[in-house]
Parts: sequence; C-alpha cells; structure tokens
Amino acid sequence: MIASLYVEGRTPFHRLPAGAKLLLLVLVGIGLAFLHSPWVLGGALVICAMPYVLLRLPFSETRRRLGLMVLTVLLLGLATAWFESPLAGLVACLRILALVLLAAAVTATSEIADMMAAVTRAMMPLERLGLIKAQDVGLALGLALRFAPEIAGRHQALVAAHRARGLKPRWCHILPALIVLTLKEADEVARAIDARGLRGHKASDR
Amino acid sequence: MGQGLRKPLLEEDDVVDIRFSACSLSYGERRVLEPLTLDLKEERIGIIGLNGSGKSSFARLINGLQVPSSGMVTVNGIDTAADPAAAAREAGFIFQSPQNQVILPVVADDIALGLTSRGIGKAQAAEQVGAILRRFGIEALARRRVHELSGGELQLVALASVLVTEPSLVIFDEPTNQLDLRNRRKVADAIHGLDRPAIVVSHDLALIADFPRVLLFHEGRLIADGAAAGVIRAYEQVAA
Repeated sequence: MIASLYVEGRTPFHRLPAGAKLLLLVLVGIGLAFLHSPWVLGGALVICAMPYVLLRLPFSETRRRLGLMVLTVLLLGLATAWFESPLAGLVACLRILALVLLAAAVTATSEIADMMAAVTRAMMPLERLGLIKAQDVGLALGLALRFAPEIAGRHQALVAAHRARGLKPRWCHILPALIVLTLKEADEVARAIDARGLRGHKASDR
Repeated sequence: MGQGLRKPLLEEDDVVDIRFSACSLSYGERRVLEPLTLDLKEERIGIIGLNGSGKSSFARLINGLQVPSSGMVTVNGIDTAADPAAAAREAGFIFQSPQNQVILPVVADDIALGLTSRGIGKAQAAEQVGAILRRFGIEALARRRVHELSGGELQLVALASVLVTEPSLVIFDEPTNQLDLRNRRKVADAIHGLDRPAIVVSHDLALIADFPRVLLFHEGRLIADGAAAGVIRAYEQVAA
C-alpha cells in the first residue's frame, strides 16, 4: 500500500513553495562542495538539520527514514578515511549528512505533486531545446519518492513472512525476493501509467 | 449484487465499437489467445474464465496495453497497435490492484494528474476533480492519503482517476477481487451505474449476472459467447 514521506505540519519549511525548497537543496549541494573545513561543515550540518528537527519526528521514525542512508554515509566516510585521511573522511561524512538531512526535510514538508510540478516547470527550458520531456522528469521524481516507502514496507513484509514461517530473515534470502517483487510492481505501475496516458505510450508484446 | 440493468443506460451515440479481426496473442512460444474474430457493442460485457484462461490479456488488447501477435484490434476505428495512446484514451482501464494505478499519495492530486498531464490547467483540473468526486459521493476523500483508504474507496478513486479523462468505455480487471461485502457493493453499484460502456473481467459471477453479453475463455479460446445466464452455466461446467 502506498505510504508517503510527507509529514503534516505547519513549520516554516512547510510554508515554503516546493520549487523554492528544491532550488535551495540544489544551491546548498553546490555550496557544500566548496566547503572543506570540518568546523564550517559542522555548522552547515546543524543549520541543514534544523528544518528536519523542527518536524519533531519520533526517533523510531527518523531511524526508519534515514537509518540506511546514514549507515551508507558512515561507511563511505570510513572508506574515505582509510584510503585518503581521517580528515577527508570526516569532511565527506559531514557534507553528505548535511545534504541528506536537508533533502529529508524537503520531502517531508512538500507534497509529491508540488515537487513534480516544480521539477516539470524547471525542466521546461530543456524541453524547448528538444533535450527531454519535462513531464517525464517530474513523473520520474514522483515515482521515485512514491516507491521509497513502498520498498521499505515490502522489506518489512518479507521479514515478517520469514518470521511467520520460523525462518531467520537473512539478507541473502530477502534481497532477491525484494528485487523481484519491486521490479514486478514497477512493471505494473508502468502499465498503469500507460493505461492512464500519463506519458508517451508504449504497448507491450508481453 | 449491485443494482441491475433494468433499461439501456446509453444513447445510441455512446455505443463503442470494438472489433477483433483474426487477433491472436502469444508470449514467446506460448499462445495465450487463439485467433479470434468478433465485434463488441453491448453496454455491459462480462469476461469470465479460469485463472490463466486469457481473459485479462483479452481485456488489455482492447486498451492497447498489449499488441496482438497477429490480426488487429480496433476501438471506434482506432487500431490499438498502431496508436496505443489513442486506444488508451478511448478505453480507460482499472487494474486488479488499484494501489498500482494510483500514483500520487493524495486522492485529488492523483485524479488531477491525468488532466494536468494532458495540458489542462490547475484550476480547471481542480474543478473537474471536484465534479468527479461529487459524482461518486466521495468528495470527503479529496485530501485523504490513499494509504488510509479502504479497498472499495481505493477502487472508486482509481475509477474516478480514469473517468475524469472521459474515456469512451471503461475496462475493469477483477474489480471486486479481495473486497469485503460492503466495498464489493460500492464498486458493483458504481459499475452498474456507469454512464458509458463497461467491460468487466471477473470471477465474481453475481457482478455480471445481468449483463447482456458475457464471454467465456478457456485455455486461450473463446468457448461461449452470449447472455449471462447461459454462459455462466457453461463456465460452471468447465470449472466442475
């Protein structure tokens, strides 16, 4: 069943238009790439975390939303520390975590439809140049955001199914099933998009 | 059972002409649908058969989701293989799992998506969304999140998202599957009250029991075609 990353609320970040938030995310992403001091990046992390903190989500919900991402960033930081230097690892961690937290706040405070509309508008100049179809880019973003919680939910269902059969959930068993189920559902969603005429239609011979 | 068809719901101009001309469908070596030639013009058409009999594939051929391996399917003269997008505009399709059809998490946003993607402005789209929600008596659901809806409500939202784009006919693929009795009634009433032709693929025989035409598929072949009562009897023999 479709869940949503959106969190109801009236924080100042909720009131910002989705397009402004996405633009801010892009600008912060570019800006962070030019920062190299861990102190400055630490300050940036605190600032970027503020909109997310203001959502006052329970720790369990934050762990569900960001746990895997934070773990990945930490592993990346460790690898960078190992291959370059501890300072480089710390800088990489702080930079990406700041961006992840800001992005989490953007998705939690913006409706998918608004983000799709903003991205579609932003892509229109490229469409006029004949490079892309703006609506497809917006739709792709919407689908990615919609699928994120779906995949997490499917993972939980697979873990529960294993436990119900008295089996210990193992990644080597769950991951292939998760990939197959996700691809199968993605195929159905693609057919539904065609059936609703939401983008250029391509019939299947399967 | 939902309200029956006591009189024709449609004007003569609303009738949709669907033609299968020597149409077959194969998945690789496997033949899913044997060559078939028939015309469909009735306002309610039921499609029944055992699992894997080819009934869903038959339905998907009508709206261009699948292209025939041989032969041709036309809907109001539109060749579904040559112009599947036009076929999809003519024939709306409600999937077995509406949660895969409803793309956006807010009901009104999702219904509007079908309009805005056709270039209709936000204000006009909102007006049309309001109208379609009122038509089904579900305007209270407009700002609800789809994961909070019951199965029946979700089916109605999927139907609204299709009808808002004004297709000439609607195809339902097992619409009452997994619904409880109350939700089944809601969906059955919506199908029976529809103001345009409907094709219903279903295992729910009560749903199609008063349809003027029912097709029975078995192992990829059309083995019975006629009024509901006779075809349902034939199905019961096949399933015995």
